Amino acid sequence: MRILLFFDQTQAGAGGKERPNVELAVEKGGIGSYHMFEKFIKEAGGTVLATMYCGNGYFFDNEEEVKRKIVALTTKLKADVVICGPCFNYADYAHMSAIIAQAIEAGSDSKAIVVCSEENAHVIESFKDSVTIVKMPKKGGIGLNDSLINMIKVAKAKVEGQAKETYQEYTY
Amino acid sequence: MFNKLENVLAPIAEKLSKNKVLSAIRDGFIISTPLIVVASIFLLIANFPITGYPEFMAGIFGEGWDGHLSSVVSATFDVISLLTVIGIGYSYAREKEVDRISGAVIAFVAFLIITQQSYPEYVNEAGKAFKGFSFGNLGSQGIFLAMITALLSVQIFAWVKNKGWVIKLPDGVPPAVMESFAALIPSAFVMVIFFGFRMIFQVTDFGYAHVFVYKMLQAPLMGFGEFAAFDVIYQFLSNLFWFFGINGPAVTNTVFRPIHEAMTIANLNAFELGEPLRYIFTGPFRDFFSNFGGGGSTLSLVIVMLTVGKSQRMKQLGRLSIVPGVFGINEMIIFGLPVVLNPIILIPFIFVPVINSIISTVFMSMGLIPLTSGIALPWTTPVFFSGWLSTGSIWAGVLQIGLVALGCAIYYPFFKIMDNQYLADEAAPQEKIKDELDDISLDDISFDDL
Repeated sequence: MRILLFFDQTQAGAGGKERPNVELAVEKGGIGSYHMFEKFIKEAGGTVLATMYCGNGYFFDNEEEVKRKIVALTTKLKADVVICGPCFNYADYAHMSAIIAQAIEAGSDSKAIVVCSEENAHVIESFKDSVTIVKMPKKGGIGLNDSLINMIKVAKAKVEGQAKETYQEYTY
Repeated sequence: MFNKLENVLAPIAEKLSKNKVLSAIRDGFIISTPLIVVASIFLLIANFPITGYPEFMAGIFGEGWDGHLSSVVSATFDVISLLTVIGIGYSYAREKEVDRISGAVIAFVAFLIITQQSYPEYVNEAGKAFKGFSFGNLGSQGIFLAMITALLSVQIFAWVKNKGWVIKLPDGVPPAVMESFAALIPSAFVMVIFFGFRMIFQVTDFGYAHVFVYKMLQAPLMGFGEFAAFDVIYQFLSNLFWFFGINGPAVTNTVFRPIHEAMTIANLNAFELGEPLRYIFTGPFRDFFSNFGGGGSTLSLVIVMLTVGKSQRMKQLGRLSIVPGVFGINEMIIFGLPVVLNPIILIPFIFVPVINSIISTVFMSMGLIPLTSGIALPWTTPVFFSGWLSTGSIWAGVLQIGLVALGCAIYYPFFKIMDNQYLADEAAPQEKIKDELDDISLDDISFDDL
């Protein structure tokens, strides 16, 4: 399973809330928060090709351009799936992830999932019919480990073309 | 091992964080925190720890200049039990899903009902006894009774309301009027029951609920707060929870915070009166003497990244994290390094704060630096200044810097493992001649080509 990751600047280790204007960038392999779930990805036989990241402020100022580039890169690298998240309860991160996941599934052969907490109710309500959104706890919430395992399960199920019913208990 | 540990800790965290009573206590204290911080600034201005400062101020504003500042301090700290009962009453009403303002005010009134209101031992020239509420009962000594009163009164209020024992007015009556009548019978239950408590205590040797709760509950719990390992337990658990992604202090504060608060205000009262300070493990100690730069005392880790990191990733992360780290914010380290679920960094993340706590406790116990005065500073106050201002001694700030340096030494070997891993990752593209991913190295990338 060839995986691409999409993080915001904090999860990528490229800046905190004070640096929302981090430009879209990509680094080979997994970086930042990837190490939280590296073990689970390897256990599932996955390989993280690269990590894309972007500041939330930069994204919303350059939405079309960022979407186009990410879809092109996903196609070029022949990724099976793009994991957007884990976004915890970060509203802007969840929102841009949902937009990107929607664009990837519409514009490439790759699958995409978003992982965020229920606090992002507006994003979940707006995108859950068109994007696969996996449940996770908010920042500092309980059950992070299980949600990361579920995230990989859903990614794998989508790549293998399994029916939605097989993973819907993990999604909104 | 981590899975087993998480299986033990996660249910505890879940139970504690979902417990309505504990959540109400924790959040109730948070309501009064900004007031305490602002009042502390007034106290700090009145008692700034520089030799010659009082004389300098008196030269400008005249003798007694600090008296007016004390009125703000008194309006907060001397009535801290009232703030507590209102805050917890409000929070518990939210948890019980009843009107929050009604919950806050009924708790307030219930607390005053059981508080001593006349003092026959104080008689004026006309022979009349003093009538009123004393700061002695409304200050730190009443905090635990305030907690109990808020919980009990809102519990009764919600129970009566949920029974449907309310006055229902016809449709068309404005909602505000409707709410006030709906609260009438539940409020009456609370007030009558607390009147009953007052009468019961009157016939006991205690006389008042304050005396009973202080002797039977608050004093023993504050005794636990004097236990040498009190803060070590707190720090260990808080940071262990963070490793699993669970907000540690949010869990541990449900149990520890009331004790921290009571000890903080007790020290502050002593400080104001010029009496010896008693408690080490106050809120400012918790905030400023164990963790520097956020949970896990990660300021030390950031300094190591910045100064001796060899991989680009570590150097960049160090550069980006140092300024937020100085002000106690380490979100990027927690999730961007990451710390969460990262076994390499687990040991220093837990034990650096524990070691800081032990050393600070020893220094204070031996009198090498003073105890914290109870002055509450914003938790973002940078290292050195937080130690200096919270104790009045520059040496406390020096100790903090020493602890940060010690933390650097403890973090170093664990950091080095990660740094070497990153270095190897960064070197990898040059070693592989045919690598389909070389195209996306940052040097070559041009999205416009895509």
